[in-house]
Amino acid sequence: MAYSDKVLDHYNHPRNVGSLDKSDPTVGTGMVGAPECGDVMKLQLKVNDHSGVIEDAKFKTFGCGSAIASSSLATEWLMGKTVNEALQIKNTAIVQELALPPVKIHCSVLAEDAIKAAISDYKQKQTSRQRETATA
Amino acid sequence: MPTCWKCGQETSARFCPHCGAIQPPASNYFDFFELPPRLHLDTSDLEHRFYALSRQLHPDLFSRKSEQEKAYSTDASAVLNDAYRTLRDPLRRAEYVLSQNGLEIGEQQSKNVPPELLEEVFELNMALEELRAGDADAVAPLEAAARKFQGMQDEIDAGLDAAFAAYDAAPGKAALDAIRALLNRRRYIRNLLRDVEAALAAKATA
Repeated sequence: MAYSDKVLDHYNHPRNVGSLDKSDPTVGTGMVGAPECGDVMKLQLKVNDHSGVIEDAKFKTFGCGSAIASSSLATEWLMGKTVNEALQIKNTAIVQELALPPVKIHCSVLAEDAIKAAISDYKQKQTSRQRETATA
Repeated sequence: MPTCWKCGQETSARFCPHCGAIQPPASNYFDFFELPPRLHLDTSDLEHRFYALSRQLHPDLFSRKSEQEKAYSTDASAVLNDAYRTLRDPLRRAEYVLSQNGLEIGEQQSKNVPPELLEEVFELNMALEELRAGDADAVAPLEAAARKFQGMQDEIDAGLDAAFAAYDAAPGKAALDAIRALLNRRRYIRNLLRDVEAALAAKATA
């Protein structure tokens, strides 16, 4: 099966590969997997404390080209968005942008799941942080 | 009891005992082979059944029969091949039983993967990537990694064997959930094993 040019571009030049400090309270980490193909995807985002805007996003994916491209694209899209805007990112937009064939749609779903998991981790950290400041 | 499509008399057999007409094939693979839905099965018995049925159902034998009978023999031959390929392999057999019970190992199942497993697989992948990037000295650690993953896979297979026995003794959701968890884990380990073997092959030719 042939990959689209955009998938190949992200696959050959993945954006924002790497990791952020997991223990940083402004960093949210999402780790998701697809047992069907054995893929595992880690996506992290760092939210600016004052503006609430995502100022950094990193990923590392072990999987097929489409899974790597989906998560690479997701990190590009995350940067500059607020957390609520980021939650609006839909897998269908990733499918469209990368021209993913039907058999690879689950890769885009995985990327959307990773975003949601990272944001939920970030929010959880924020809640426990507020609780600590409240009791302090 | 269902009735024969041709003569209207009662039949539950593959061929109507009254008029001899071929009947539409059972869609369930175990029913098709007239086997109980067990996860441990005798594959040589399965093979015998497969060859015997191949001889009975081959479309060539129906070339002078009615269109309906030709169609049923084609359908039955197709089910026969799918059923045999699925049931002779223990992993595919287990996946089939899971899917028959509404527990596909399908897409969008990330919520069913335990986070510890993802962490573990991620770390193993990271370590493997480092080894792969290394020079020829990395062959020994790669071989060690291959042995480690093989050991993990063997352990999963032993676990599956026990889980199959548990399901056969007491079929139910608990037993199926345990099998699905093992099959999920196995896919990740199998991929790691495949990657480490590919890395070793690449080093050997480099």
